[in-house]
Amino acid sequence: METNIIKGKISGVLEAILEHTNFELHDELTAKDVDGWDSLSHMMIITKIEEEFNIRFKLRDLNKLKNLGSLVSVIQTKI
Amino acid sequence: MNLVFDIQKSIEENYTNNAFCFSNTHYSYKDFAQVISDIRKAIRSSVKDDEINIGLIANDDIQTYASIIALWMEGKAYIPLHPDFPVGRNKMVIDQAEVKTVLDSSETEIFTECNTILTKQCNSSEINLTPVEVTDDDLGYIFFTSGTTGTPKGVPITFGNLSGFMDAFWELDYPITSEDRCLQMFELTFDLSVVSYLAPILKGACIYTIPKEEIKYSYIFELMEDYELTFALMVPSILHYLRPYFDEIDCPAMKYSLFCGEALPLDVTEEWSTCIPNATIANVYGPTECTIFCTDYTFKRGKYNKTHNGVLTIGKDMKNTTTIIVDEDNNEVKEGENGELCLSGSQLTPGYWKNEEKNKETFFYKEYKGKNIRFYRTGDLCTVDKDGDILYLGRVDFQAKIQGFRVELSEIEFHAKAALDKINVAAIAFINSIHNTEIGLVIESEEFETKELLDELKNSLPQYMIPSQIKFMNAFPLNTNGKTDRKKLKELFNKG
Repeated sequence: METNIIKGKISGVLEAILEHTNFELHDELTAKDVDGWDSLSHMMIITKIEEEFNIRFKLRDLNKLKNLGSLVSVIQTKI
Repeated sequence: MNLVFDIQKSIEENYTNNAFCFSNTHYSYKDFAQVISDIRKAIRSSVKDDEINIGLIANDDIQTYASIIALWMEGKAYIPLHPDFPVGRNKMVIDQAEVKTVLDSSETEIFTECNTILTKQCNSSEINLTPVEVTDDDLGYIFFTSGTTGTPKGVPITFGNLSGFMDAFWELDYPITSEDRCLQMFELTFDLSVVSYLAPILKGACIYTIPKEEIKYSYIFELMEDYELTFALMVPSILHYLRPYFDEIDCPAMKYSLFCGEALPLDVTEEWSTCIPNATIANVYGPTECTIFCTDYTFKRGKYNKTHNGVLTIGKDMKNTTTIIVDEDNNEVKEGENGELCLSGSQLTPGYWKNEEKNKETFFYKEYKGKNIRFYRTGDLCTVDKDGDILYLGRVDFQAKIQGFRVELSEIEFHAKAALDKINVAAIAFINSIHNTEIGLVIESEEFETKELLDELKNSLPQYMIPSQIKFMNAFPLNTNGKTDRKKLKELFNKG
C-alpha cells in the first residue's frame, strides 16, 4: 500500500479517536506533538489501526512506534 | 540502626557490578558511589543540619537515585515531587512538609521558590559513603497520597520502619543476589518504588527502570526479554495490558514475579505463570502507612489457590506485622467473618504528617495478647480463614449500600468477568441525580449489545446488584501509580 494511503487512513483513525484534526502528518510527528494523544488514547489508536488495516502488532512492534514514520513502516511490513 | 551502613557496605563491595540501567545505558556501583558522594558534598555545603525534609524531583536517572542515598547518608528524608503533577499540588506538598531545598536532576530548576541543588551540575569530590549517625526514629521519606478532602496527606516512614520492612522482606525467602537483574517500574512518588531499588542495592544487583516516554507494559516485556530480568514487582494492571500478548512472552530467566497494589485475579495469574515458567509468583499486600507491603502469599503452580470472587488471597502477615480484623467498634470478628483489616508492628508509620485529626480517626490503641498496641485501620474489607490466610474483599468504602443492601463491588466484577470471558470490567458505585447510590459497570471493550451479559448477571446476582448503567472504554485509564483510575471511571457516570 502506498505511504500516502496509509497516512490517510492513520489520519482518519487519529481524527476518530482524538476528535480533532490539529496535526500535520509528517514523519517526525510524535504523540507528544498532538493534543490528547496520551498513554490511554494511544492504546485506543493502536487497536483502531489494527482494525483499519486488518493487522496485529506484536508487543515488540509497540516499542518501535516512535513517530509517524516508524508507524507507517511497521504497518507496511504487515500488509 | 544498620540500614544505611548496609547500603554503604553493599555499594563498596560491588563496585564492579552494574547498579542501574537507564535507557540501555549501564552504570556501575562505582559510578553510583561517585554521584552519591558529589551530591552529598553539595548537600553539606548548602543545607543546614536541622533541615531534614528535602524535596526530590522524581526523574529517571542516576542522579535522582543517588540523591536518595546521599540524603539518607546525611540523615535526611526525601519528599518525592513528580515533575508532571500539577504545580499547585506539588506546592501543597512543599508547604506541608516545610521543604526549603529541592534536589533536581533537570537541566533547569523546576521550583524556583526553593533552594535548588541541580544534581547534574555538582562538583566532583572524593568518594565518601560513611553515613552520619541515624536513629530508628529519623525519617527516611514522606510520601503524599491523595486525601479525601482534596489536600494530600503525608505518610512519614522512619528508618526503623524501613529496617523492619527489609528484615521481613528477606525473611520471605525471595532472595536477590549480586547476579540478579531487577525491574523498577514505579514512579518514585509511589512507595513500591522503594523496595524496587532498595532491595537490589542492598545485594549489589542491577536495577532496570522505565524511561518516562515509553509505554510501560510493552517496555517491561522488552526489558524482561532483552536483559533476562530475574526479579520483578509489578501492579496487576500490567498483566491486564499484557494479556492479549501472553502467547508472545516466554521468559525462563524470571525467578520471582511479585504483584502488589491491586487485587490479583487468579485466572490471569495462572496464564501469566506459563509466560515465566521458572518463576515463583507472589501476591503481596500493604498500604504506604505500613511501609510498602506487609502480607504475602506464594502462588502454587498447578495446585489449588485460595480466592474470593476470583481474587487471590493476600496470605499471611509478614514477620514484623500483626494483623487483626475488626468490626465497627474495633472488636475482633470471628474467624470467617468480614471486617476491616487493621495493621500493627514495626513497619507502621508514626502517623500522618501534621494531621492529628486524621490520626485520631485512623489509628487506635487496643489490648492485644496482653499488650496495648497501636493499630492502623486500612479501609480494606477482609476475612481470615482457619489457616490464617487473609482474603481481600474490597474497600470498605467500595462496599456500597444499595437500597439498604450491602453490596460488594468486587462480586459484581467477578460475575461480569465470568460472563464476558477475559474482558476486564470495573463496577462503580455513584450517586445519581436524586442522591441515591447506583451501580455502574465499565467494560474495557468496544461497545456491544449487553442484553446477554445482563441476563447472565441476573442469574447469579440479586436484582439490587445488577448495574443500572453500562459504559464502554477501549482501555481503562491508569493513575500515576499504574493502577486503574477508578475516580476517572466514576466520572463517566457523574456526567450522566
